[in-house]
Amino acid sequence: MLEMASGGLLCIGAFFFFAGTLGLLRFPDVYCRLHALAKADNLGLGCLLLGLALQADSLAAALKLLLIWPLGLAASAGVSYAIARRADALGIAPWRRKDP
Amino acid sequence: MIRAMLQRSLLFALLWWVLVEGRPDSWGLGLLAICAALWASLRQLPPGSRRLSLTGLLGYLTFFVSNSVRGGAQVAWMALRGRQALQPAILEWEMALPPGAPSVLLLNTLGLMPGTLGVELTDDRLRIHVVDERLPILAEVAVLEAHIARMFGVGT
Repeated sequence: MLEMASGGLLCIGAFFFFAGTLGLLRFPDVYCRLHALAKADNLGLGCLLLGLALQADSLAAALKLLLIWPLGLAASAGVSYAIARRADALGIAPWRRKDP
Repeated sequence: MIRAMLQRSLLFALLWWVLVEGRPDSWGLGLLAICAALWASLRQLPPGSRRLSLTGLLGYLTFFVSNSVRGGAQVAWMALRGRQALQPAILEWEMALPPGAPSVLLLNTLGLMPGTLGVELTDDRLRIHVVDERLPILAEVAVLEAHIARMFGVGT
């Protein structure tokens, strides 16, 4: 039962990493790519860590795995803002739809 | 003061226990690390300067986790559909939160919430890149701001 839940979470996590990478390749500009990476990859990371924590040997090891998530989130949020702000300061205009 | 020191020491001890995965033979070094962390935390964040509301924190965390899931699913769906799913724009938001930790938390949370990304934060204005301007995004920012205000116990 635990094995199944863990496996399911790992697969879901892998799917979100895949979707984030797909967005990175397909989205038109730096801002939209940041959206794809920050959101999809963080959810993917959360699912992966939860799945791994279910298989951990001890409570402390499981908590250690879960501790990675908030650290990853903080880093990703900070870096996204830094990149977006720099792109904006360099005058990179956001991509707009031609046919609204 | 004493109470805050005890609470924080306990928290850092727990953190050390997690980091060494419960091994009992490393508490010598752990004690040193806990003292150093306590000293740094007292310097950076003196006790009594800011109290977080516990129910506010719980409300924020619930909101954060559920919206992370929604944000991830939304952007995954957009990635699968390609760029015809996008209609990006830059919106302006007037900050009602005080500068410092509450504003920074709002900015960083926005980067992880569905459809929003902070681009530039000045004293009282935030420019937000949104991935689809047809969505009611500013209303969601207002909800997030209310959660953060309640957590820090500040009015908006």
